[in-house]
Amino acid sequence: MRLTRRDRLVLFAPLAVLLSGGLALPALLGLFATFSTYSPFATSTRFTGVENYLAVIQDPQFGAAARNIAVFTFVAVPLELLLGFGLAYLLRRPIRGRGFWRVLLLLPWLVSPIANGVMWHFLLVGATSILDFGSGWFGQADVASPIGDVRLALPTIIAIEVWREAPFVTFLLLPGLSSVPSELWEHATLDGASWIRQVFVVALPTLRPLLLAVTMLLVGLSLGTFDTVLILTGGGPGTASLTPALYSYNQAFIINNWPTGAASAWLIAAAVLCAGLVYMKLAGRPEAS
Amino acid sequence: MNSLRARRRRDTAIRTLLLAAALTVFLVPLAWTAMASFGLLPDNSTRPPSWNGPITLDHFSEVGIAEPTFWQELATSTAAAACAAGLTILCCFLAAFGLARSRFAGRHGLTQSFLVLASLPAMAYVIPLSDLVRRAHLADTFTAVVLAEAAVTAPLAIYVLFGALRQLPPEWEEAAVLDGAGLFRVLGEVVLPLAAPSVAATAIVIFVLDWNLLLVPLVLTSGEIKTVPVAMMDFFTFERELDWPTAAAALVISLVPLAILVGIFHRVLERFSLDARQDA
Repeated sequence: MRLTRRDRLVLFAPLAVLLSGGLALPALLGLFATFSTYSPFATSTRFTGVENYLAVIQDPQFGAAARNIAVFTFVAVPLELLLGFGLAYLLRRPIRGRGFWRVLLLLPWLVSPIANGVMWHFLLVGATSILDFGSGWFGQADVASPIGDVRLALPTIIAIEVWREAPFVTFLLLPGLSSVPSELWEHATLDGASWIRQVFVVALPTLRPLLLAVTMLLVGLSLGTFDTVLILTGGGPGTASLTPALYSYNQAFIINNWPTGAASAWLIAAAVLCAGLVYMKLAGRPEAS
Repeated sequence: MNSLRARRRRDTAIRTLLLAAALTVFLVPLAWTAMASFGLLPDNSTRPPSWNGPITLDHFSEVGIAEPTFWQELATSTAAAACAAGLTILCCFLAAFGLARSRFAGRHGLTQSFLVLASLPAMAYVIPLSDLVRRAHLADTFTAVVLAEAAVTAPLAIYVLFGALRQLPPEWEEAAVLDGAGLFRVLGEVVLPLAAPSVAATAIVIFVLDWNLLLVPLVLTSGEIKTVPVAMMDFFTFERELDWPTAAAALVISLVPLAILVGIFHRVLERFSLDARQDA
């Protein structure tokens, strides 16, 4: 239908109010504040330019956090995509009890990140650890918890995150993968293409826009990793599993260093926005294709 | 022909086997937790390890003893997530329809930037948000939690709903307009019924996301209003260590409502699509 000016106002105003109040206003005010000594508890505020950002960048703790999150993102996102796609590929054709499989498979994603941290804490640490149980079966002694180990803490966090997010990727990809026209698969099969070739020739090109969108969400999720780390390791041992989001949280809300916390949070936002530019460049204009 | 059928049967067998293996890996941690909540704990000191403990429901009632306000927190979480999801869907349904029926340059850039906004981690803006909410004298109120949660999940909702509404054939709306229907009648009697599955699927996903949010309610509240994730975090940072069976029972209780919701609506959930391609 043709929309009048009044229609447009009615349609867009609620979202505009919600988004500007809940997202845009705080984000922009926060951005301005990072160039000053502003803090809600400070009596006076002065302009400091990029000092806060310099302080964050020079902090070795933030350096460690940035390195951790880079490793995290480059390992976790491809793994989540690969596993999620694999499971969606297995589920793409009707199979007995597919609905049931799908619901069961989504369960890990339904566990909140914080509950996830609590759960894995008990699975990995202490007398009821699943690791000790496993090693016991092979007659081995108890194993030390990997989250207390400097080298294993980050890989463990990554594995736990992949465990939670891969099912979500499957959930997002499955409708797209099932709607790939079956003639495309049949043609490829008749051409004698192996299943790997089928994936590359049939599935990936059709799913490209969807895969890009899912990747964008996953990159944002990884860069903001917070809840699970907070509960499981608190960033430790040392800074072995510290993430930028945890660093910002600690600065702003634990040691009340507001300017540093806000500035480092904006660096996370900047990283996601950069990823967003790449995404928009790659996704392009769908109408043109 | 026979060989083709044999191949197909073999394929199905392999698929089922792989799926079963994957499901086992993904569900063992949850099964472990569920068993602990019923008091079934591993004994790792014996060789081979064994299971002990009588099966009991006591741990579920212990949750209410260890955290006296747990049931209230569960109610708060549910109410906040439901209100926030409702508000998000309402605002985004209207805006998505407006967007789907307007043509302007940069419409695609706009929808894509909603997806980028949806990927923005909460940490990027909660610090100033907490300050703003305090200055508006809304700190520690149910309203603030609902509004903030609604705003946080709105970008994802509008991206998905825009994709869904754009696919609807405009002819039926035109017919309704010719019959003299105004905007709200078109929305309520034509668009909403046609798009109901997609709207419901989006609402469920947004509800789950709201329910699981930690950072937003955490920084906006200080005890008066408490959601389940915030309560869980308090337990473990204030070193009031829970014992595992009680924690497991709390985890199970907070997971079951979502699992039931998803189980009931799993057919509808297939309509949740991030696909930006479909262009009428």
